[in-house]
Amino acid sequence: MPFFKTIRWVVWKDLISEWRTRETMSSMLFFALIVILVFSFSFSMDQDAARQLIAGIIWVAFTFTGIIGLGKSFTSELQNDCLESLQMSPAPKGAIYLGKTAANFLFMLSVEILLFPLFVLFFNLDVIEAVGTLLIIFFLATLGLSAVGTLFSALTVQIRAREVMLPVLLLPLAVPVMIAAVEATRGALSGDPFSFYSQWIQLLTIFDIIFTVVSFWLFEFILDS
Amino acid sequence: MINRIIRQIQRYKGWFGGGAALCIFLGLYTGLLASPPDYYQGELVRIMYVHVPLAHTSTLAYSVLFGGSIWYLWKRDPLVDNMCQASASICALFTALALITGSIWAKPTWNTWWTWDPRLVSFTVLLLILGGYLMLRRLVDDPVRGGRYAAILAIVGGIDLPIIKFSVEWWRTLHQPMSFSTRGVSISEDILIPLTLMSIGCWLLFAYMVMVRTQILYLTELLHAKKGRLLSQTHFSQTTP
Repeated sequence: MPFFKTIRWVVWKDLISEWRTRETMSSMLFFALIVILVFSFSFSMDQDAARQLIAGIIWVAFTFTGIIGLGKSFTSELQNDCLESLQMSPAPKGAIYLGKTAANFLFMLSVEILLFPLFVLFFNLDVIEAVGTLLIIFFLATLGLSAVGTLFSALTVQIRAREVMLPVLLLPLAVPVMIAAVEATRGALSGDPFSFYSQWIQLLTIFDIIFTVVSFWLFEFILDS
Repeated sequence: MINRIIRQIQRYKGWFGGGAALCIFLGLYTGLLASPPDYYQGELVRIMYVHVPLAHTSTLAYSVLFGGSIWYLWKRDPLVDNMCQASASICALFTALALITGSIWAKPTWNTWWTWDPRLVSFTVLLLILGGYLMLRRLVDDPVRGGRYAAILAIVGGIDLPIIKFSVEWWRTLHQPMSFSTRGVSISEDILIPLTLMSIGCWLLFAYMVMVRTQILYLTELLHAKKGRLLSQTHFSQTTP
């Protein structure tokens, strides 16, 4: 099967099964709502405090919701031995990886785009001017998280204690993404000129490129039995 | 039956252990007794003779783990996998010791046990990655697959660590100036001699520990394999008279 066709089919398959069950997206959305609520309880937020903390809160919520989606991405393949079919299929493994990454990326980004208006509403953010930059930051950071996350989702699915091990392995490696995303978001929300935080966007881009390539190469060794 | 390299290790590891002991003894003597206190830091400088070599060695240990993991994915040599596992646990030990000695040094110098200094943060992340690595190895039932997964984690971590260090440094220097910088300070011989001795000593110690640990891991696996074969033989002889 040609490379790009495989990618398209894997994405399509994930989107269809998500559309039919609506499991991943709904659990991600509810979890994120709860995270937002917990944060607003745990910090008594006035306007100033909100401005200080909001970038961190946004990314903690996004990352943890992302991990839920990433974990589901391969555990759903355990039913009916779908994982083994993926392993045995003659399709290029790299294409399966890219398809899975694209699907995870789409889930995470759509949840983020649905959630962000709630952040704006709950924490009284002033975002009209920054929406474009924020979208770029969300795009790049989500790509980085899903590039590494899909690799580790596939890696942890076949081990014991997989629900715990995915965040344990993924979060330390995602430190650069977290720092860069939080710093860039804070810069964009506080209305700094773009050049103040453009280096973080560069860092995100570099991370995305490196880890898409590396994970693409390493994924073959995971599905190889 | 026993691997040729394991035999070589058995023959030569004593030299590494002895060399490590000698270098560390001389280093500790020159560092703790013979060298004068530092002009700025006073007697405090002496913890550096332990801390800096430990930190260097943990970086070296991760490089060994990184290179070994690439080699293992490429050649699938089980002995290299044993060596990777050995260097990961020893790297975790050296990293933890480096963090602890650094923290002891930081208390009188910066007046705090812990600060979000870039180097502290990147070493903590390194320790977390190694903890994940060692956990991962225990959680996979099939040892061959476990070795492969662990190698993947070590490679991703090895590529990520420079980026982590870089991003953490950016993040901290943008917020607050570095508390302590060695740039522009030349190191005198009094400090350099014990530091070099201790560094060589720690590297030799690391090599020695990896050798012993690799041997243990290899021989344990061999034993398990033999025991399995023996058990299946007795089982076989009992069921088919």
